Amino acid sequence: MAKEILTVKELVKRYKELIALDHFGMSVREGEIFGLLGPNGSGKTTAINCILSLLEYDKGDIKIFGKEMSPKAYDIKKDIGVVPQDIAVYESLSVYENIDFFCGLYIRDKETRKKYVQEAIDFVALNDFVKFRPKKLSGGLKRRLNIACGIAHKPKLIFFDEPTVAVDPQSRNKILEGIEELRKGGATIVYTSHYMEEVEQLCDRVLIIDKGTTIAEGTIDELKGMIKKSEIITIEASGVDEKTITSIKEKSTVYNVEYDGRVLKVEAGSGKHNVIDIVNILQEGGYRMKKIFSEQPTLNDVFLELTGKQLRDE
Amino acid sequence: MFKYYLIKTLRNKMVLFWTLIFPLALMTVMKVAFGSIYDMENSIDPMKTVIVTEGEGPYQDGFRDVVSTLSDKDSDNYYFDLTEEKDLAKAKDLLLDEKAEIVFSVKADSIEVFLSEDHSDTAAIISKSVADSFDQKYTMIKDAYMKDPSAAASIAQDISSMTASTKPVENVFDGDPDPYTWYFYSTFVMGIFFIAMMGVALVGDLKADVSAEAMRFSLSPAGKGKMIFYSYLSKLIPCLMITAIQLTYMKLVLNVPLGKDPLKLFAFTVSAIMFSLSFGVICGLFFKGTVSQRANKATAIIMTSVFLSGEMIGVLPGLFEQYCPIINDINPATVMNMTFYNLTVGNSVSGFYLNITKIIAVAALLLVVGALVLRREKYASV
Repeated sequence: MAKEILTVKELVKRYKELIALDHFGMSVREGEIFGLLGPNGSGKTTAINCILSLLEYDKGDIKIFGKEMSPKAYDIKKDIGVVPQDIAVYESLSVYENIDFFCGLYIRDKETRKKYVQEAIDFVALNDFVKFRPKKLSGGLKRRLNIACGIAHKPKLIFFDEPTVAVDPQSRNKILEGIEELRKGGATIVYTSHYMEEVEQLCDRVLIIDKGTTIAEGTIDELKGMIKKSEIITIEASGVDEKTITSIKEKSTVYNVEYDGRVLKVEAGSGKHNVIDIVNILQEGGYRMKKIFSEQPTLNDVFLELTGKQLRDE
Repeated sequence: MFKYYLIKTLRNKMVLFWTLIFPLALMTVMKVAFGSIYDMENSIDPMKTVIVTEGEGPYQDGFRDVVSTLSDKDSDNYYFDLTEEKDLAKAKDLLLDEKAEIVFSVKADSIEVFLSEDHSDTAAIISKSVADSFDQKYTMIKDAYMKDPSAAASIAQDISSMTASTKPVENVFDGDPDPYTWYFYSTFVMGIFFIAMMGVALVGDLKADVSAEAMRFSLSPAGKGKMIFYSYLSKLIPCLMITAIQLTYMKLVLNVPLGKDPLKLFAFTVSAIMFSLSFGVICGLFFKGTVSQRANKATAIIMTSVFLSGEMIGVLPGLFEQYCPIINDINPATVMNMTFYNLTVGNSVSGFYLNITKIIAVAALLLVVGALVLRREKYASV
């Protein structure tokens, strides 16, 4: 197993009466993309800010690269890159100047910095905009500039805090592809988001956080294995009677059936022939079926089952 | 790093507007609106004047004293190139020969004014107003004397007070400062005080809880002390350039007097800039909100201070000096104004040193406090 380069144990952060992080813990392994998933206000950004020593915490233990993290830990900071949720670039500097400025906070040697800055520009594909000021860039291009400023110094551990908020789908895909590229280049990524699709697509392991507490942690499959729902079957069939619905409900792997007079939605646990069995029951009743879907549960289903509420509030 | 901080400062249009464009625009408007009147008052060539007195008495003596005061070559109010003549007809001949422009014929209780054929408007206005003003005051005092003879002793003193009011101001608040010059100095000081906005911007560069850009700095291994120094220097240099432009414009275009001691002027300018910059840093550090919210709060303080220093109502500092001098003592804009005024117009050297010492002391204190707070190695509390 790859070594852990970030460990957080028993982290507690209070804002007066509000407990933002309640004995929160996580561990990130070298070379992985680790997803921190939770609804808005769940404590994701607070956790990241505590880890980065931007925020003082009440209790807990944070180690990065095996060393205690603190505001003075410059030897740790030099290998960390951060892409904050808010776009953190200077409006009065051009694209090139911004990347050069922030890279200069880490890299003193001019020649090395020049090379790194160019590589960062290539990486986010902003070559045609190097002389532009940020206000002339679109939202997606600004996000890419924000990323370039955070990764130009080639950090070993990179934090992405909701980097795709308010970004169009095309730019979002480019950002996600770029993060995958960074991992291939040897970086370890911590990725926070409330977009479950992104996390499912990108992350090797995921931690679900809610109300400052770890709800679950593991690979996507491990998380989905934690809930009893393993299949959602949707069938369009009109006029299904109560007797037939009861027959479906009596099947051992089925634990929930909803029917609105037109669409039948069946939630089932793991079973090899769930769809066939239900189709057979409907055929025996002489019902004509138009469309049949079978879906795997999403992280939202995992979150819903573990917390009793939706992951996304919008 | 220094290069980029400098570029950022020079591209900060808002700060450049408040510190350079706005003060220069105000000064220019003032010059265009009132400059001609001021220039007329201050560039009157002494007019050849003859005074002819008929008989002896307090009226004739009093008027002769007034005109003599206005004929003092060492005075700022040197209006009359005066000669005395016994014979009015001879005096009038001098008018005809254009050897005199004004003739005052003073009798026991009246003054007659004669002017040459090609007299100037200035000669007509000044000679008439001096004669009328004297006559009114003398009549008023004489009436008082008729009612209460014990007041006789004060007649001479009252008449002499008429001339005292025309003497130049020795100290800023010994009398009302010249409002025209005070306005220019006040506007210049306002521009310098607005440099505080750069101090707020400096905090925005370095404090992670103030801006997302500063958060990047806080997350980096860059040394804080060095970055504070670079950031401070990158603000100080443009400020010196801005004030140099302002002073040059004031001197060469607006003809505002700037004193005769460039070293003292430089010392005043640098200390005022450092005070304003440090004041802005303190505002940036201790106010709440975003960079622009902190800058707005600093602007409110600056505007109030500048208003109380007489930028819009020139008599305010004089009133405070009379009824509540502590307001002038603690108002930064007034202290800076007084320093500048003492340096150039007021001729109060002790006032200059006292005020510049105040500015330097407070600037040093704020600078040290600001640097220590900025340099603290602690959690940013974002």
